[in-house]
This record gives sequence, C-alpha cells and structure tokens, in this order.
Amino acid sequence: MLKKQTYLYLFLLICVSSISHAQNPTEKSGKIQLISSKTNFEAGSKIILRFSSQNKKPPVLYCATNYGSTLISPTIAPKILSYEIPMHISNKSGTINWSLTTNDTSISGVLNIAPKTTVYSMETYLGPPSIEAGGRDFTMLVVIPTDTLDNPLKPQTPVLVKHQFLAHEISTEIKTDQLIAFKNIYSPNTSGRMILTSESFGKNSKEYDVNIVPAIPTNFTIRSQRNHHYADGNQITTFITSIIRDSLGNIVSDGTYVDFFIHNKKQAVLKTSGTTVMGIATAKMIHPDQEAHWTVKAYVEGVSESGIITINYTQVITDFDILFSKDNRTITVGPLTSFMNQMIPDGLQVVLTIRKGNTKIGVITKTSKDGFVKFNLKKGLYKKDTYSFQIRAAGITKNIHAKKL
Amino acid sequence: MTKNRNLLRAAVLLSYIAITLFLVYGVSALYSYLNTGADRSKMLHTELKKIDQYLPELSWAPLRNKGRQMDEQTLSEIENDYLDAWYVRHIAYKTNLKAGIDDYYTESARKNIFNIIKQNKLQKTTVDGTTLEHHVTLDFFSEDGQLVVLTDKNVLEYKRVYRNNTFVLETYETATYKIILLLEDGFWRIRHLIRTVVSKKDTFNTRKIDSTLTIKGINYYPQKTPWDMFGAQFNDAVIDRDFKIIKTAGLNTIRVFIPYEDFGKANVNARKLKKLAQVLDIAQTNKLKVMVTLFDFYGDYSVLNWTLNQKHLIEIVTRFKDHPALLAWDLKNEPDLDFDSRGKISVTSWLKRMCIVAKSIDKKHPITIGWSNAQSAITLHNEVDFISFHYYKNLSEFTTTLEELQAETVLKQVVLTEFGLSSYKGFWNLYSGSETKQADYYKNMQLQLKEKNISFMSWTLYDFNKIPKEVVGKLPWRRNAQEHFGFIDKNGKKKPSFTYISTD
Repeated sequence: MLKKQTYLYLFLLICVSSISHAQNPTEKSGKIQLISSKTNFEAGSKIILRFSSQNKKPPVLYCATNYGSTLISPTIAPKILSYEIPMHISNKSGTINWSLTTNDTSISGVLNIAPKTTVYSMETYLGPPSIEAGGRDFTMLVVIPTDTLDNPLKPQTPVLVKHQFLAHEISTEIKTDQLIAFKNIYSPNTSGRMILTSESFGKNSKEYDVNIVPAIPTNFTIRSQRNHHYADGNQITTFITSIIRDSLGNIVSDGTYVDFFIHNKKQAVLKTSGTTVMGIATAKMIHPDQEAHWTVKAYVEGVSESGIITINYTQVITDFDILFSKDNRTITVGPLTSFMNQMIPDGLQVVLTIRKGNTKIGVITKTSKDGFVKFNLKKGLYKKDTYSFQIRAAGITKNIHAKKL
Repeated sequence: MTKNRNLLRAAVLLSYIAITLFLVYGVSALYSYLNTGADRSKMLHTELKKIDQYLPELSWAPLRNKGRQMDEQTLSEIENDYLDAWYVRHIAYKTNLKAGIDDYYTESARKNIFNIIKQNKLQKTTVDGTTLEHHVTLDFFSEDGQLVVLTDKNVLEYKRVYRNNTFVLETYETATYKIILLLEDGFWRIRHLIRTVVSKKDTFNTRKIDSTLTIKGINYYPQKTPWDMFGAQFNDAVIDRDFKIIKTAGLNTIRVFIPYEDFGKANVNARKLKKLAQVLDIAQTNKLKVMVTLFDFYGDYSVLNWTLNQKHLIEIVTRFKDHPALLAWDLKNEPDLDFDSRGKISVTSWLKRMCIVAKSIDKKHPITIGWSNAQSAITLHNEVDFISFHYYKNLSEFTTTLEELQAETVLKQVVLTEFGLSSYKGFWNLYSGSETKQADYYKNMQLQLKEKNISFMSWTLYDFNKIPKEVVGKLPWRRNAQEHFGFIDKNGKKKPSFTYISTD
C-alpha cells in the first residue's frame, strides 16, 4: 500500500517534470528507475521509455492502447533498458498506460499522445441527401477533421462550413466537440441544388450537394380538351392540370401523381390518372357512347385538389334498324350512323338480350364493325320456339316480341 | 470355350450396367448439388440466433444527445453491435486471429487491430481479456441515422497476458473511451476509438459474521435428491420436516448448494429462484440461518465467460441479499480442486472478481470460499470476509492444522464448513468402517471444536441412495463411502453419531 503511494507520487513528479521539460532523473524506486520523463507526445513521434536497471533478466513492458494491449521487449545497453513503443501504437492519439513488473518492483505510467495539429483529410458525412424547400427541413453536415495518421483532431478545432445556393454563398465557423463538428443546414425557399463544402486549417473537403425538393403541392385547377362534343365512344378527352406549385411557388417535382375522378349522371365513378411533367399532369379518357354529363375533379392524394369542371356529351346515334333473316336466326343491327351520318367507328357496343316468356335465357355482347353488328342464334343453343329480344346500343333500347325461330 | 465366352459376356454386361448406374448417380448428385443455392436467409444475416456469450454490465446514461432523437430499437442495435465489437476483439487477441473483426470495425479502424495482432503473433503474446462494466453516454446521433458518437466511461477491463503460453501478468484497468460508430451494411461499426485512462480502486471493508452466533451447522441435501435439491422433485414439506430435525438437534445453520447450469447460467431461471426463496423462507420459520454456496458444478473459469458468471451472481445475490435467513455467501465449493486442470491463476483471479462483484451488490453479508483443505484456505484470505475450509483427514491432526491456519490468518474468523466420516462397512474398505466408528469420530471432533470454539458445519444429514457420478466419479469405493456420510441412515433411522451432531 505504502509502496503504491510512493509510485503515485513518483508518477506525479514525472508529470510535473515533463511539463517543465526538465530531464530530471526520477526518484529512486527499487532496482528499476524510469529515466525518460516526457509523457506528452504528438502522434507519430518516436517514443522510447528508458529505465536504468541492474537487472540481469530484463522484464517485458506491458502497454495498453486504444485498440489493444501488447508486450514490448527492451533493447539493452549497459545498465539501461530501452523500450520503443511500436509506431503503429505511437501513431494513434489517445492514452497509453504501461507497466513494468519485476519480482520486487512494479512501475507504471501513462503516456498521452495528442493528434497532430494539421488536417490531412476532412471525413465528411452529409445526410439526408434531399430536403424540402421552405426552411423547415434541414440536412446535417458532420465533419471529422483527421490528421495524416487518421486521428481526429483535438476538441475545439475550427471548421468552416460553406454552402452555396443560387446567388448566396454562406460560410459559418463551427468547432469540433466529441471528435466531430456538425451543422444543420436549413432549406431555402426555392427548390434546386445546394453545394456544400467544409474547410479546416486551409484543408478543404470534397464538394457535396443536396437536392432541395419542392414542398407539398397546393390546390390547382384543371381543364379538358377534346376534338368534338359527341358521345361517339371513340374519341379521347384529355384532362390537363394547371402548373402545380408548392406554397412557395416552386413547381412540384416531376412525377407527382394526380388522380382524376369523373362522376356521370348515373353516379358511376370513372378514374384516370397522370403524373406531372414541369408541374402539369395530363390524363385521358375515351368519350362515352351515349349522352353524358361528367363532373371531374383531380387530387394529389392526401395533399391537394383541384376545382370541379363539368363536360357534356351529345348523343350521336338517334336510331338504328334491326333486320331479321328468313329463319329469324340472324339479326343484323345497323347501319349505326354518327353525327354527320358517317358510319360509326368500329367498336360500339351492342347488347342482345334473349328472353323466353319472362325468363332471360341469354345475353350476347358484340361490337360494331363497319357500322353493323350481326348476331347468330345457333340451333343447338336456341331450340325452335318463340322468343322475345331486346337490343341495346348507344343508350337506345329496342324490344322485339314473339319471334318464332 | 463357349462357357468362358459367356462368362466374359456376362462380365462385360454387368460392368456396363454398373458404369451406367454409377454415371447416372454421379450426374444426378452433381445436378442436385448445383441446384442447392445459397440460403437467402443466411445471406441477409436475418437468422442469426442470439446466444448469451458476452454480457458485461452495461448502463446507458439518460439520453440527452445532440442531433437526431434516438429510438429504443436503434439504441439496442448499437448496444449489441458495440458489445459484439468488444467480444470479437477479445477473441482476436486471445487467438491472434482476425475472425469477425471485419464485421465490427470499419476498414480504417481494423488496420489498428491487425497491427497489434501481427505484433503479438510475432512475439507469441496472447491477451486473455474481457470487459466487465460499461457506462455509456450517447453524445451524438446524426440526422440521417448513420453515425453515432459514444463515450464509454470507466470501462472496467481485465486482462491476463501470456507470452509463449507462460503467464506474464494480469491487470485490471479502468478506461474511458470515445467512440465513433458508422452504420455500414447493417452493422454499427467502430470507426474511431480513443482511450483515456482513469484509475479506480475497489475497496471493501471486511464484514464479520454475526458475532453472537457460533455456527453449529450441517450441509444439507434432501435424502431423495442429493445434488439436485431444486429439481423436479423439490418438495417443501420434506425440507420443512428436515429443517425441524436439524433445529431440534440443536443446530442453527445449514449450507446449501446452487448449481450454476441448473439455475440457468447467465439468465437465471425464475422457477429455481422461487424454490431457493422457499428454502430460505422455511429456514427462517425454523429459525435456521443459511449459507448459500454458489457456482456448484461450474468448472470453466475462462475470462471470456466472466461476464456471464457475474450476471448469474448479480441476479441471485440481488434477489436474496436482504433475506433474513441468509448468513453468508460461499462463492464456490472446493475451487482448489480445479487448480491443476484450470491453472491456479485462472481460478483465483475468477474468485477475486466474483468476490468483488458480490461485495458490490450485497453490502451486508460476508463472503467466503469453501476450500477443500486447510492448506488451500490461505489463498485469497485478504479478499474473503471469513476463512472456510473442509477437513476429512486424521482426527488427531485437526487441532494442529486449525492452529496453523489461524496463525496465518490472524485477523479473520475461521469456519469449518465440511467434515465428517462415512460409516460404510463393506468390501471396498475391507469392512473397516462402522457406525460406532463414525459416532466416535463425531464425539472426538465435537470435543476439539468446543475446545477451540470453532464454528462448524458437518457433512451431512442423510445417507444417500444414489450419488451422481459428477460428484465422486464412478469408482465404487468412493461412491459407496459417499453414500454413508449421514447422521440418519437410508431407512430414516438415526445412527449413533446423531447424538454428537452438535456440541450440546
């Protein structure tokens, strides 16, 4: 116990002498005495611990460092033991504790290794890589200035954080604390790309950039565009949004998804959608095949919406003929003519419903070709009997009762 | 001639079939081998089963970090990876191999470890180390969740250093570390690790056993379940009945054993703890004190298991440190028997550590180690609160042995925690033993004990039917002898020695 205290005082003495840079030999301590007195070093310096010793069998020096512990054998000059701390240990900043134990004495000490004062690299971490405009969102720049031997520099090392956005170039000084220096950089009001870099003692980091993405969309308007107002089931109506912007006037990011909901008179809902390019989203919808009144509204789901527009479609087919063949098994519907009495473009849906008495026994759906639709009633399916038929096309329904097959 | 030709044909045909079969088998084996790809779950580290391998005491300071707010999930991931980083490093320095380092250290950080491994390998130095306590503060968490800065204050490290497989030194160090960890490939990896040393010393005062109490005790196992007291056949009624016998016989203390593995190792089994609590409660109602012997049947003292051992110890001691029936903690039964197989340094440094941990938790009860003989009982006499030893040798030498031990450990009380004689009479000891001889032995011992005023605990209450082979081995002369150490025989009849179970 008493001995240990002696060593403690001894150690304190060493510390004091090292501060004054005096190379005083230390107090006597058993057989082995520490000669070297310096305890503070800069990383990368050669560290040799010298002891005076009468010992024939030199002890090994135990040494514990940042990453692990090791034993060091001495080189022996007459009565002097020199222990050279390996470079891979003296290269790292931190505290090394060592001890030398022989049978009758144990002597120990601490070496402090400070990082170098010059910066070699600026280890930089930036994230998140894209932030929302408007000054609420921010990105964080973390800088670890390190010296040539990969040691973080001492606390309070000044780091200059510089960032450029449009016409602004701003630099701020921050200081390292807990090995790192960090700064939160808040987004400007306009979208675009921000360039960041950092500097310490004249050493500059790489260039880093952050995308400033527009904030969430605000409400917008929509309009429609079509070739004609006829319900021909063939032409296409295009819905187009106004330029969608965020609250700060930035055009929203390309690819913002817009849904268009169309309600017709029967309260059925049709849906189409599109994504924005330069803030404008377009979506298409085929014309109805009968008179219609559409109300259309668009949404950026959960975020913003448009006003409502209404569109009317005029009926084009007012009437059509039905022709039965001799055996009544072939029914020809047509000609189906459009607004200028031209044959309606192919694809108009015609539905034939076949009933026997009051029971529905078949529905056949066909689309028009060259203005006509032909239904063939096969003998195998429709046995000889009396049937009634209903034909529906372009919102017009015609009934034919009691035809004998 | 034709016969030969037919034979030849048959041979050719058969060999053709054999070759074809072999080829088909070979091709199909190759085909099925090529169709077994890498298991995706293994590739993604998703199926790693967590086993307890490294559980040092770790506490987090309240979270007041700069930067992003920390969440529980991430914090526990950081904790796991950080401790694993220590663990792989301990293994690396113990074996001087690089396994596992890549997972827990970034490319620039691992170079430092490889340098030390390289040097240690060259000089045939190995370091068997562990960390026992961590006190971590989260200083900083980056906004993108990829970087943290930690301060690990007063990490208690234990290292045992060997050169050329010869022990050089052992050391406890308390150091503070600053750590930067980066999230890479799903691992929190150490990027920077910087150490600052602070020294700390554990000091503990010696506690004395209640001075008003002279222990008159007995080592106890139920008759039906020797060495398996807390097993499936645990029966509190039996224990209560036995304790009444013990109390009526004039004894005041029992010594019980806690098997380490049976109690669940690092994660102590709650049901076993409940049974132990029952035993202590029954002892309390019968006004008996209990000496609890820990780590029974544990024989691996390896440094890397210390964290698990201390967790076991902490859980049990914390649970029972305030129990009124508790008399003392016996850290380990006869650890000196492991000196040869495990090395004296391994065993004693382990005992020292467990002693410190037990004392840091239970500030009241004394700690001892149940040495198998008086000569070993000198070991660690500064660390324990009272000395305990076992004596199975000649009656005539007892007083001398005891006096020698007392002379060497003047300041500490000495307790005899095991002694006794088997009454076995049979082929294996040439019919030399007898119940009368046993009674004489106890009569004589009690006289000596009374004269020296020594606390004692005899071995044991009952004769046992079946001794587990882990206890005395398979040799019949040892097993048979061990079966007949009781004061009460297998039929429940008190032997003559029962008269001398206690001093009065």
